[in-house]
Amino acid sequence: MQAAASAPAALATTLHEDLPKYRVVSRFQPSAHPGMPGPYPGKVARVHAAKCIDEQSEKVDAAVVREMMAQGMRALTGDKDVRDSWARFFTPSDVVGIKVNCSGAPRIMSTPEVVAEIVRNLGAVGVKPEKVWIYERFGNQVNTVHYDRFVPAGVNIWTAEQSRGSIAGYDPGIYVDVNFFGEEDTRSNLARLVVDPLTKIINVPNMKDHGAAGVTGCLKNIAYGSFSNVARSHSGFKTNTYSFIGTLAAVEPLRSRTVLQIMDGLRGVWHGGPFSYNRKFRFYPKEMMFGTDPVSVDRLLLDVIDSKRAAEHASSVWDRSMANVKSGWNYDDNPSINRFIREPGHIEYASKLALGVYDIGKMQVRKIEL
Amino acid sequence: MLAFFAAALLPALYWDQGLSTANAVKQAGVERLFVPADQVPAWKSQGFEAQAFDGAKFVKLPAPGVEYKMDVAAATSLPWVDANGWRFARNGNRAYYYDAPWRKAALAAAEAYANGVTAVIHPDARDLARFGTMLAFLKSIDGTDLPAMANIGILDDGSEETGEVLNLMARRNLLFRVVPAPDPSLDLNVQIGSPDFPKEEAADPFAFATLVRRKLTDEKRLLRLYGSDVVLGRLNGDAAHARVHLINYGGGKVDGLRVRVRGEYAHGTLAAFGVQNAALADYAVSDGGTEFTIPTMDVYAVVDLRK
Repeated sequence: MQAAASAPAALATTLHEDLPKYRVVSRFQPSAHPGMPGPYPGKVARVHAAKCIDEQSEKVDAAVVREMMAQGMRALTGDKDVRDSWARFFTPSDVVGIKVNCSGAPRIMSTPEVVAEIVRNLGAVGVKPEKVWIYERFGNQVNTVHYDRFVPAGVNIWTAEQSRGSIAGYDPGIYVDVNFFGEEDTRSNLARLVVDPLTKIINVPNMKDHGAAGVTGCLKNIAYGSFSNVARSHSGFKTNTYSFIGTLAAVEPLRSRTVLQIMDGLRGVWHGGPFSYNRKFRFYPKEMMFGTDPVSVDRLLLDVIDSKRAAEHASSVWDRSMANVKSGWNYDDNPSINRFIREPGHIEYASKLALGVYDIGKMQVRKIEL
Repeated sequence: MLAFFAAALLPALYWDQGLSTANAVKQAGVERLFVPADQVPAWKSQGFEAQAFDGAKFVKLPAPGVEYKMDVAAATSLPWVDANGWRFARNGNRAYYYDAPWRKAALAAAEAYANGVTAVIHPDARDLARFGTMLAFLKSIDGTDLPAMANIGILDDGSEETGEVLNLMARRNLLFRVVPAPDPSLDLNVQIGSPDFPKEEAADPFAFATLVRRKLTDEKRLLRLYGSDVVLGRLNGDAAHARVHLINYGGGKVDGLRVRVRGEYAHGTLAAFGVQNAALADYAVSDGGTEFTIPTMDVYAVVDLRK
């Protein structure tokens, strides 16, 4: 475990020699300039604001969020005017998807005030509300958030599965076929919305621990949140998130169309994620990260979550000791108990698929304090 | 009894609710039925083609459906599908009887019809109208009999252990037929106790079915279903046609079921119980297979394919 914590990259490489056999089916060709890692590989703007959320009431200060987003986008692009920053990515003709994360809703999710500020900025560069789609997989989760109360009339809210388990909302011709554990349905299909009508996607994950993936950030949110039938990658104590997350994120047209990563760290979950059943594991990083490279943003997220876990005397996300892996619900009360062997190496694996820069020494990180 | 069924292998009704319910039976569209022996004259006098029911002449079946058995088939938390297709494959063309609990009569009728067996169904009285609707649906799709398609042969020793293997293979849509000896025309022959299929492996029928699937390979499977754990399929066909029977054991509607059939068929049509103007969606023919989506289905759907 010590070796793992000190050399996670090497560990990830040595432990996963026998990967599942993936068959990717898509009618879309790879783009010469895919959205991931996009025009700013390895570059991340981090904006911290102590007043963005009140920890007791969880009330969000929308004006502070607006300033965080303005400074973050300008720092990412180098523009003086934030409209120029947004115009680098979006034109009035675009149909823009906002991939929210609602797996922990209504306790933690892509914050409505953050999503509303994204919609406002899109409007400022000419993208009308009718051409904006907030999307997620599960209707029962999104319905608890009421995004419609925060965004202008006309903005679409779409979920792939209003009826849980139905694949009607997924494209039958774009999928990853893999047999993990002998499951009968070996396909994970891409959400229809991503194929049509979206032309661009903004990915808005939270800062969360994840019992299977180690952390859930940009990669996990865009991958497992855009494809069907992904929970099958876990069985018993084993999870295939190590290679499945990156494989899904790299499928066209998802890879090409996901052009902006905005990590919403107003709230966070340092254990028990992606859910947030237990209040004691929620924390408040009060930070947002901006980039086009999901690997780099997630690489920083790893340190955020693992540092918080260390401060709370919990096991590392890199811990692979079976002594700490138990079935049942103890994991949601004891931060050193987990359901699976976590696979935080999925982020480095994604870098090998050219989705971004994992080496922190090669990254450009700009920190801003408000 | 055989003459009674001669018109077609449509399921028959066993009705013991008394003559006072005759109007309800008529409204359900049922003209032929089994009744208790002492009621036969009365039902005939009302214009029904009635015959005495003798349970001893039928093989009684468990009710089809779905239940959750978290302690069984521990490799998965999938619902446990109670289906009788494997029993039909094992027992051949005998006459069967379902004592169907509430909301199961239509499913039982569909299961029997799809498997081409003679069956009598004793429904809960509340299911009479739905049973009648299913009967009308089956009449509307009834046509030329096509032989059952299978590419796995299994030698059945009649044991309970082999029965569970048959059950698990059917539940995973591994299309098989019981053969007296290995059939070289099939893609795979399964003989429990042979070097390829050791007897000890059959002690875990779930794992055994996985072994069969692995040896066959998914590429050679005649039928694949995606998007539901509670729909089982059956395939009939000849050189130019195929009929896909899809039976939903889950009790709720299934939306967006994706189906892949081995073989390239240029045309396909859908009939779905309880769905008006049903039509296949996202039809595609490629790589030696035909794929389509069933937009929504209730308990039963039939897809007719032709080259």
